[in-house]
Amino acid sequence: MKQIVELTLNGEPREMAAEGHRSLLDCLREELGLTGTKKGCDVGDCGACTVFVDGQPINACLMLAVEARGRTVETVEGLRPEGDVLHPLQEAFMRHGASQCGFCTPGILMMARKLLEENPDPTDAEIRFGLSGNICRCTGYTKIFDAVRSAARDIRQAGQQEATS
Amino acid sequence: MNKLTRPLQNDFRIIGKSVKREDVIEKVTGEGTYVADLKPAGMLYGKIKRADVAHARIKRIDVSRALAYPGVKAVLTHGDVPRVLHYGSPHPRSASCTRDQYILDDRVRFWGEGVAAVAAISEEIADEALDLVEVEYEELPAVFTPEEAMKPGAPLIHDVGPGGNLVLDPVKVERGDVDKGFAEADFILEGEYSGGRPVPAYMEPNVCLADWDGAGKLTFWTSTQTSFMVRGILAEVLGLPVNKVRVLVDHMGGGFGAKQDCFQHEFLCALLARATRRPVRMEFTRRETFVAGRSRHPFKLWLKQGFRNEGTLTAREMKIVYDSGAYGSHTPGVTIVGTTSATSLYRCENVRLEGRGVYTNMPIAGAFRGYGVVQTYFALDIQMDEAAVRLGMDPAALKLKNAVRDGDIAPSGHAIIGRGLEACIQTGAARFDWSAVRTQNRRPDRARPHLRKGWGLGCEMHGSSAYPGIKEQGNALLKVNEDGSVTLMTGAAGLGTGAHTALAQIAAEELGVPFKSVSVVHGDTDAVPWDIGAFASHTTYLVGSATRMAAAEARLAILERAAEKLQTTAKRLTIFDGVIHPTDAPDQGLTVAEAMGPSKGIPAANILGRGTYEPTKSYSFAAHFVEVTVDTETGLVEVDRVLPVHDVGKVIHPIAAQGQIEGGIQQGIGHTLTEDYIVDPETGRSLNAGLVDYKMPLSMDMPDIDTVILEAAPDPGGPWGAKGVGEDPIIAIGPAIANAIFDAIGVRFRHYPITPEDVLNALANKEAHDAGA
Repeated sequence: MKQIVELTLNGEPREMAAEGHRSLLDCLREELGLTGTKKGCDVGDCGACTVFVDGQPINACLMLAVEARGRTVETVEGLRPEGDVLHPLQEAFMRHGASQCGFCTPGILMMARKLLEENPDPTDAEIRFGLSGNICRCTGYTKIFDAVRSAARDIRQAGQQEATS
Repeated sequence: MNKLTRPLQNDFRIIGKSVKREDVIEKVTGEGTYVADLKPAGMLYGKIKRADVAHARIKRIDVSRALAYPGVKAVLTHGDVPRVLHYGSPHPRSASCTRDQYILDDRVRFWGEGVAAVAAISEEIADEALDLVEVEYEELPAVFTPEEAMKPGAPLIHDVGPGGNLVLDPVKVERGDVDKGFAEADFILEGEYSGGRPVPAYMEPNVCLADWDGAGKLTFWTSTQTSFMVRGILAEVLGLPVNKVRVLVDHMGGGFGAKQDCFQHEFLCALLARATRRPVRMEFTRRETFVAGRSRHPFKLWLKQGFRNEGTLTAREMKIVYDSGAYGSHTPGVTIVGTTSATSLYRCENVRLEGRGVYTNMPIAGAFRGYGVVQTYFALDIQMDEAAVRLGMDPAALKLKNAVRDGDIAPSGHAIIGRGLEACIQTGAARFDWSAVRTQNRRPDRARPHLRKGWGLGCEMHGSSAYPGIKEQGNALLKVNEDGSVTLMTGAAGLGTGAHTALAQIAAEELGVPFKSVSVVHGDTDAVPWDIGAFASHTTYLVGSATRMAAAEARLAILERAAEKLQTTAKRLTIFDGVIHPTDAPDQGLTVAEAMGPSKGIPAANILGRGTYEPTKSYSFAAHFVEVTVDTETGLVEVDRVLPVHDVGKVIHPIAAQGQIEGGIQQGIGHTLTEDYIVDPETGRSLNAGLVDYKMPLSMDMPDIDTVILEAAPDPGGPWGAKGVGEDPIIAIGPAIANAIFDAIGVRFRHYPITPEDVLNALANKEAHDAGA
């Protein structure tokens, strides 16, 4: 039996029809067509399906879709604040070569966003710890660390400019 | 190179710069299409029933309950599919491959092999139906190691091949006079080396989607490095002309060599779609990527070398056995490339080498970054370190003294060009401050006396192309549009390495147009020229050269068109940043867009550039300097820092090249210290098929990496001298770590992975031995 699940998805009210046993990940991908969130293992090991639920990063493969009822869900598709403007993390990932095959990228971007929201000026050790639940098999992480450091700087500078203007 | 191409120049506008990779925009926004993101109307979900025995004949298989299950649309077993003996890997009729597979057989050769396939309206229903397929097996005696498999009278796994469970006839290489060489040696080192079963663990599980149209044409999306090879094998096995199979792939989530086979699930997906007349998608679970994917070949190697006291080699003898698992896949290629690689790296005139690839009832080993060479150079480089210890010499000095150099015969039979390996060792030693670091005070920290530091060097070389095993061809087709923009069509796959960006850079550089005016069409066998596939570190070298030729041809056509408009001759014109002008009058001229625009009332010109390139071989070189800390209480080895130095001839996109090196180091650290796909040696059953139990280095485990890229030995066969870089890093890092562990604790490991248990056991043995002595 499918149930209707109402939720706020990337800032918009949405509803989806979900069977009780289906994961949030499968429903995002198969029902809502939001395929930016990737399925790398389906058992909570790889972090490729990291999304925010009520502002907290979770593995969408480990949450039932029906549990999202009435909650706020954010995915990589909602990361871009408006139109053609990319999030500073997205820009930095492109600039620094932090994305190779790109399969882990949406999950890592979401996790990095959380990291910078909580800690706008993280140390290298904090970046490493913050991303320790996300597997990347292409980059050796070095370029990802570069990108997160660089985005943190960009976000701080943008904040300062906003404060002084 | 094609004589049309522009001469070597130093004022590059586009290559050598880390331009923005256009494919990455779609990756950071989540908009890029991977095969699993596709869901055409009416799509069914395919699943594979897998055997729970390692070697058996299927006595009975009953699908009636599965077929009756609501939502199930088709079930296929060995009686329902074409019985065509086919190649598993994508180079039909080359020496690299074996023809030993059926889509489904009445025989099971490894635990986890597919025995039936189901299509259903949901993934869950398909999964549940698998349990309803009843299979009765007659178990056969199984062999789980090459030693057992090679014993006289061992059960045979295949009827094909040379017999005795050999995948191919033993590969034998002999040069010089080995016996004389050993007789002239001042001392001889001899040792056994071995390695486990690392897997590529690409983040995107294998996935494909099949759809037939009313005219009997198959459209087939699949995450593959070799779309034209998949097309060829599918067409052959399904009995279709090649133009009735269209293979598509846009983005793919990594491959690392292992996505070069035409896999069992790919045939089954196509056949389920044909049986149901509906699109069918088949996606591996993570577990299946281990069970039914491809691993590196486990190996055992015996190496004996003679040395003179001045530190040169007099003779080398090596025997290696690669465990192929249940099917041949790439084992011939791996055995040939791996065995012959031991003729080189460190100079030796007298060599005798023998390589075997052996069938066992184990998971299939296939192509994987480093292709047989990871194994041999692990041994060769460690034994060189052992020789340095014996001689009381600095290992870097010894390796430098014996480094392969210009004019030496490479494994391919060609002459080595340049002195790339020497340059890597020298540059790295200086930057790492190698001599000072290694001779510093080694007294352990008083507060943490259990932590011991060590430093090691590992070297490698690797060919950019599969020649001579496979005669390759790279192709490019380039179209100049009426507004001056350029469309490059290539069959090269986009694994995530940035290859398409590099190809666009090469096209733009040769044409003389801005990078942004070139776009790349790829991943559609109906739309792009034939391509051999993305493997053997060759895309930039091979397809890059073809792209440069295509661009050169198009450039000449543009200039001829411009000359007509300017009433001059093409010879007097040049293109710079998209502007065409006479060589002697840089302030005059017209843009490429103006040249390409209407002429005599005709709205556009048909300008196509074609490039076809058949390379031989070039070699890239690397030296990795590492620092490790060994915890003598826990046995844990931490890699603290790595200084990789790579000679790539000419770098096209520095950040992408660095990314290849750093990613290769990550995988290589895993292979050397923690990664091993474990299969129960009693039953062939998989024991750690998941990302928690298969331990890969993650963000917390990565060392600081100070990547250095050299253009020390450009190869005339590559675009502006460029050579490959994809596989090299994973080869050099392993021996570097093993050598550094020896430096730290005085224990020599000759296998991988070197686990904490291994370290603790070895330290205990050493203590007992030292006490006894």
